[in-house]
Amino acid sequence: MASHRKIIQLYRNLLREGKKFKSYNYREYAVRRTRDAFKEHKNEQDPKKIASLLKSAEENLDIVRRQVLIGEMYGDGRLIIESTIKHAT
Amino acid sequence: NTSSSMQPQQIQKRFAGKNVYTIEEVEKRVMITLQLFDKIDPEKLTKDSHFIKDLGLDSLDQVEIIMAMEDDFDFEIPDDDAERLMTPALIIEYICDKEDTYE
Repeated sequence: MASHRKIIQLYRNLLREGKKFKSYNYREYAVRRTRDAFKEHKNEQDPKKIASLLKSAEENLDIVRRQVLIGEMYGDGRLIIESTIKHAT
Repeated sequence: NTSSSMQPQQIQKRFAGKNVYTIEEVEKRVMITLQLFDKIDPEKLTKDSHFIKDLGLDSLDQVEIIMAMEDDFDFEIPDDDAERLMTPALIIEYICDKEDTYE
């Protein structure tokens, strides 16, 4: 399988980039969605289908990269579960 | 041989650079990380079990194992190397090669 390597690479890259999201919700979603999408199609045999899935994965990788950047530029505050506790004085 | 009798607690930590591990420490950390991996049955796990053949994982899970190791030891494993690391023993050997370790 010539594209096996490429699939693994895409999976790695998607997980890696997804983990860079600053926002907890986006980060968890990106990682979870990547896992689910790859597992869902892991028995796919049709070369045409595989090619189209690969293409959409690449597009999504671009989107993730772009959104991570945008999130860094225009990030909002942390969620309440992420913030460190501030004691009232 | 003084170095082999040294206890882990006595090893001086370096804060300016990367951590220095003993081979035993690397082994322990790798095995703990693997035991905590949700798809691995800790009972079946041995140093020589093959992730795909013995533990029933797929190549995607193996990618995640390698990424967990990268996070744990804080360095990147290139794809070409990652492909070969199919047993805990191979991972331990690889990390010992790449990191500063002593016996």
